Amino acid sequence: MRRAAIIGTGQTHHASKRDDVSQPELVREASARALLDAGIDAAAINAVVISSMELFEGRALPELWLGEAAYAAGKPCMKVATGGTSGTSACIAGYHQVASGMFDLVLVVGYEKHSEGNTQAGMAIVDPYWDRAVASGALGNFALSISQYMADTGVTEEQAARVAVKARRNAARNPYAHLQMADITVEKVLESRMLAHPIHMLDMCPQSDGACAIVIAAEKTANKFCDRPAWIEGAATRHQQPYIGDIERRLTTMETLRSAAKEVYAKAGISDPRRDLDVAEIYEPVTYAELAWYEALGFCGQGDAGRLIEEGVTEMDGELPVNPSGGVLSSNPVGASGVIRVAEAASQVLGRAGEHQVDGATTALATGYGVYAWADALVLRAMS
Amino acid sequence: MTSASTPVAIAGWGQTGPLAEDLRSIPEMVLDAVQATLRNAAMGYEDIDAVVTASVDVFDGMTASNIAVTEVVGAVMKPETRIAADGLCAAIHAACQIRAGAYDTVLVVAHAKPSMSDFYELTKWALDPIFLQSLGIDFLTFAGLQAAAMAAEDKDAVERWAGLAACRLADASGDGKSPGSTEILQSALVTTPLREKMCAPLADGACACVLRRGDDSSPGRKEIRLSGLGHDLAANFIGDRELTESAGLERAAARAYADAGIKQPEDEIDVAEPSVAFAHEEELFVQSAGISDNTIISPHGGLFAGNVPIVAGLSRLTAAAEYLRRNNDLRAVAHGSWGPAGQGQAMVVLENAIP
Repeated sequence: MRRAAIIGTGQTHHASKRDDVSQPELVREASARALLDAGIDAAAINAVVISSMELFEGRALPELWLGEAAYAAGKPCMKVATGGTSGTSACIAGYHQVASGMFDLVLVVGYEKHSEGNTQAGMAIVDPYWDRAVASGALGNFALSISQYMADTGVTEEQAARVAVKARRNAARNPYAHLQMADITVEKVLESRMLAHPIHMLDMCPQSDGACAIVIAAEKTANKFCDRPAWIEGAATRHQQPYIGDIERRLTTMETLRSAAKEVYAKAGISDPRRDLDVAEIYEPVTYAELAWYEALGFCGQGDAGRLIEEGVTEMDGELPVNPSGGVLSSNPVGASGVIRVAEAASQVLGRAGEHQVDGATTALATGYGVYAWADALVLRAMS
Repeated sequence: MTSASTPVAIAGWGQTGPLAEDLRSIPEMVLDAVQATLRNAAMGYEDIDAVVTASVDVFDGMTASNIAVTEVVGAVMKPETRIAADGLCAAIHAACQIRAGAYDTVLVVAHAKPSMSDFYELTKWALDPIFLQSLGIDFLTFAGLQAAAMAAEDKDAVERWAGLAACRLADASGDGKSPGSTEILQSALVTTPLREKMCAPLADGACACVLRRGDDSSPGRKEIRLSGLGHDLAANFIGDRELTESAGLERAAARAYADAGIKQPEDEIDVAEPSVAFAHEEELFVQSAGISDNTIISPHGGLFAGNVPIVAGLSRLTAAAEYLRRNNDLRAVAHGSWGPAGQGQAMVVLENAIP
């Protein structure tokens, strides 16, 4: 494949309600920052990929309305929407469009403005024959799968709470993060309101207003504009059965993420992810999911995720920092959340992550998660 | 920008509909189209590396509407990308994936079922909610505004469009019969100046095709290739656009022609399959895509056989491919359009290639 790299990223300040801006203004905020970070003019962009989940705001084909805010007017533009993976899938789409030789510079922008819609109602507008009558949004289906995962692996509520603590403390060093809680403790997580057993309020991701953008460049252009591009070494997507009951022990097995990770690790020459990766930005909508993803991504053996978080391996100063940005647990504008994972992983490789920079990060993993078990994975690397 | 990269061929295609009302569920419709496509391509699900789908959640009344078709398109444990736009964009993206070397075979699938809703009512939700949505206008209104702008200084325009509609309805009928211009001009006024029979009838349907890496290793083996790809998003506000032209289509066509190495489209295109949902759009297409009288347009009536939103552009691609397979003509173009007054535009050049 023709080589492609991320040369700039930009995101908004994420919050529960950004009523200071419209949806297009939110998109422009992130897009403008990405262009500035990449050091390019909007005119240089050849094509745009947008991601969002339209029923969360009750919009149809929103790119028609806000394409201009993403500098897309008069340019090739298409929208990618695959649930939670929308953002990572849009990044992969932008990567493929650059790698195809069609375009030299593609801007990928994801956004969501949950405060202008009803996300849980949107998530309940599912299959009308079988699912709609029992639709319970993200919370209900995770409570079910997490109970099963706990029974399978012995993971405890305390271990999950440690993920929440890690995420929100990391977020305190990220000026763009929605939930920044430097003083969060395991006790506070466990004392937070029970939403659906065993998920406490602080175990769950928020709904955020926000947008995030990345600039993907072909090899020559990347080298022209950036002295340390974040090269995309591999990208993979896997989708899964549409009915949760058809997926065998979803969190425990997470076959999609395992398979996608296996593919990108092979492409990037990664044989021991815990050793070969310097940092990971993974899409963890709930604390328990992060633990399950550790196992699926090969950061530890099956059933060892609880011990991994207890040993501090994935803390900022650990062997493999996971979600230095605070992750989805700290900022979650759904259409942007996947783009944020890729942008944060790229920022680490570019050496531009500010206070949450992992020293010397060269190789980074970004993942996406959506629907019941859809998964994306990308590996980014700076050339040595 | 051109890409001297992997050639992309269309290996097979199929569809279900268009029907005014298909009583089956969306997955059943899509399964039908996908199975027909795989038969046509002499392939099985196991031969498909990746899937690109096209659907729009608000039109389907379902969040992440590709969930409904994940199984029937064979995307379980496979890569699937959903493009929320006209199906021709999905084909363009699939072709990019193959050119990039990411996959060798990609199944492209689009579906829509407007009979289960008031489609044009839903298009109001695609308009700027601050300045436009509250006016109660929809995509139909925009088509009327565009046609009115074109007819403003062209007193023969409406009669001409009635003649065009009669021609396309006759081609679509299969038996050459259609209402005459007079009857069309007397049909119900939908939105000034467009009459009911100048508007392609909305229909339910699904369409699919398999794109695969072109084969240069079998000299003399004919294959139909997608040699030019182009798409565009114009300004949203119609006050920012000259409605009597389609600058967006001009840009999309220019990109596709440059990609395919076409310098004189008026001489080099044998057949065109435009997405003409309203009769006046055919004139816009001819003018903006640089098509001449030498080109056969919509030999089977185009969307006047049934206008399935989102599916339309992909169905034009498969219609063009079918024409090239049955004839020895060299080159065809397929066109897709979406949004108010054709804000989104897509164009693909197909060629009968003999490596």
